[in-house]
Amino acid sequence: MEAFRQEIIISAVIIYMIFCVMTGLWAMRRTHDTSDFFIASRGLGPIVVSLALFSSTLSGFGFVGGPGLVYSIGVSSFWMVIISSTGYAVCFFLVSKRIRMIAELRNCISLPDIVAARYGSEAVRFMLAITIVLGVMGYLATQILAMAVVMQAILSGTEIFANIGLVACVTISSAVLIFYCVTGGIIASVYTDVVQGAIMIVAGALILIAATSVFDGGMQEATSIILRDDPETVMPYGAAGIMASLGWFFVFGLGLAGQPHIITKMMMNKNIKDNRSMLPLSLFGYAMAALLWVSIGIVMRAAVLDGRVEPLALPDDAASVFLSMFTNPLLAGIVFAGLFAAIMSTSDAFLNIGTAAIIHDIPKAIQGKSIDNDLFWARIVTVILACVAAGFALYSHFQDATLVALLGAFGWGTFAASIFPVVAIGLNWKGATVWGAVTAITFALIINFVSQLAGYTFPYGVSGQLVAFVCSMVLFIGVSLVSPKPSIDSDIDRVLDI
Amino acid sequence: MKINLIHTILCTAVLMAIVLASICLAEIVPDAAGMPHPSYDGLQIGGDGAARLQHVGILGFAFQCLLLIQIILLCILGVPDRNRTYELAAYMGASLAFMLFVAWKMYFGHQSFLATHETDYFWGFPVATAWQTYGTWLSAIPLVLIYSIGFTKFIYSEKDEETFDALLAERIENNG
Repeated sequence: MEAFRQEIIISAVIIYMIFCVMTGLWAMRRTHDTSDFFIASRGLGPIVVSLALFSSTLSGFGFVGGPGLVYSIGVSSFWMVIISSTGYAVCFFLVSKRIRMIAELRNCISLPDIVAARYGSEAVRFMLAITIVLGVMGYLATQILAMAVVMQAILSGTEIFANIGLVACVTISSAVLIFYCVTGGIIASVYTDVVQGAIMIVAGALILIAATSVFDGGMQEATSIILRDDPETVMPYGAAGIMASLGWFFVFGLGLAGQPHIITKMMMNKNIKDNRSMLPLSLFGYAMAALLWVSIGIVMRAAVLDGRVEPLALPDDAASVFLSMFTNPLLAGIVFAGLFAAIMSTSDAFLNIGTAAIIHDIPKAIQGKSIDNDLFWARIVTVILACVAAGFALYSHFQDATLVALLGAFGWGTFAASIFPVVAIGLNWKGATVWGAVTAITFALIINFVSQLAGYTFPYGVSGQLVAFVCSMVLFIGVSLVSPKPSIDSDIDRVLDI
Repeated sequence: MKINLIHTILCTAVLMAIVLASICLAEIVPDAAGMPHPSYDGLQIGGDGAARLQHVGILGFAFQCLLLIQIILLCILGVPDRNRTYELAAYMGASLAFMLFVAWKMYFGHQSFLATHETDYFWGFPVATAWQTYGTWLSAIPLVLIYSIGFTKFIYSEKDEETFDALLAERIENNG
């Protein structure tokens, strides 16, 4: 079997991609209007939504960057994972019920729709839509680039594709993504998410077993090796220190409820009461899949320090080197398919919300209505958005990484700082005002953007994202308290009472 | 529960901002956020743990405690006003106590290691790290249980469902 390692891995990835294409074709027949295209007409069951929720949360970063971070900075990176129970709990307590109720009451198809209904303000809708489009471009570009780099690494190991270029890999991977997103919209997206989520759960569990068997003494031997080299790396705050770690606790924990690609999925379940089972199901899936993140990084660091493995050229190579050295080809095939699944499940969610912002929310904020023939334009814009993001990805790789890095700054932390107060607190507090929302979004964007542009670093590993998040929460509540009492539409007012 | 929740959340956020500012203004320790490994490219090390916590350790712990309090306050904010009963307060208080206990075991377990350079292991990790890894994840499970098991009591009751259905029907009627 070992002699056919590369062929087995490629077969697993090809089977997975064929499945995505078939799902797109199947879902196309169920997509009749924009409500189907963007929110599956709120007709999904709890298992489907739960798997879609967690698989969208765990992007390619969790499978490539996550193990690389643990390899590089040790336990500091664990904080991004262990907050999942807190993050999902806060997200469900604050968002899931009310976002679903307002979506049904007002026939909302996007997060800016919800916010416009809550605040009765097109300005807030516009600002949120712009934030989403900027964030989507950065996220999508990095995801597409990651997908292409992994595909190139797999294919170049074969004789036929030994010299395949990155442009060809970007084209192939983007084509599959675009096909199922354009044909089947969010229906294709969530049903591929179900399989993607299942693959990630299986991959996480199997990798943990493989990782604990690398050293005779299991995980304890691995952590002992790291402890002897530098105790702090394997202590609770890791190499990056206490404030970097707690910053991740804050931004990833509370910030989950501010991620538009995740909370939009909370509008899609058939029954509001499904939320009670969706929380534990999502959390279980995420925890299982994240085992890969934690275990590979620790074992690879210990293996390098112990001399079993040559030092890695890049920390992000941790997962691929681990798979090639310590797993059998079948497991490697499943994990590589899981990696593509993780990247695609996040990418399709971003394509969906980015398209909604462009064809629905921005026109509605400017001219009071979304564009005509919106399903047709939704498909066209999905293609354009993915092509532009792929172009950004290639430009970033070959010419100048600055642009994508800047857009990347509009990632998790910016979404968390700008959207969390407006949505998570705003949906639960009648005193929240338009002024509070506009101030919070503006300052979150400015602080994140300026700290990224200026390359400013705060002492003790305090991140600009953490500063932006704390400031936006204080400003949102403070400004709302001192601005005139808001008038809320009577139906929304009654929803906020339920 | 008579306390004004949103003011409490604001006060907690302001306190967090003050602690954060204090940390940023504290005496700087070189390489407090890590430094490159002397022998391996791509690896970072933490170095002298006691030195880098000397000026900000207790402030960091205070920040973590405030964050845990804020998490509980936000979860309570997600419960409709009429359901914020003493029973809910008891559950949330117990959850907070558990979270603070785990944070305390983690922080002072680390301090103990820094003083003695000795540690036991639990399920593959040094004890302080085990509290961080398993403890922090598990300490939020009570919140998950309160939400899932207490869903019809605290989050969305049969009466809430009826109210919402009536609102939907009214909306459909008004829209013709």
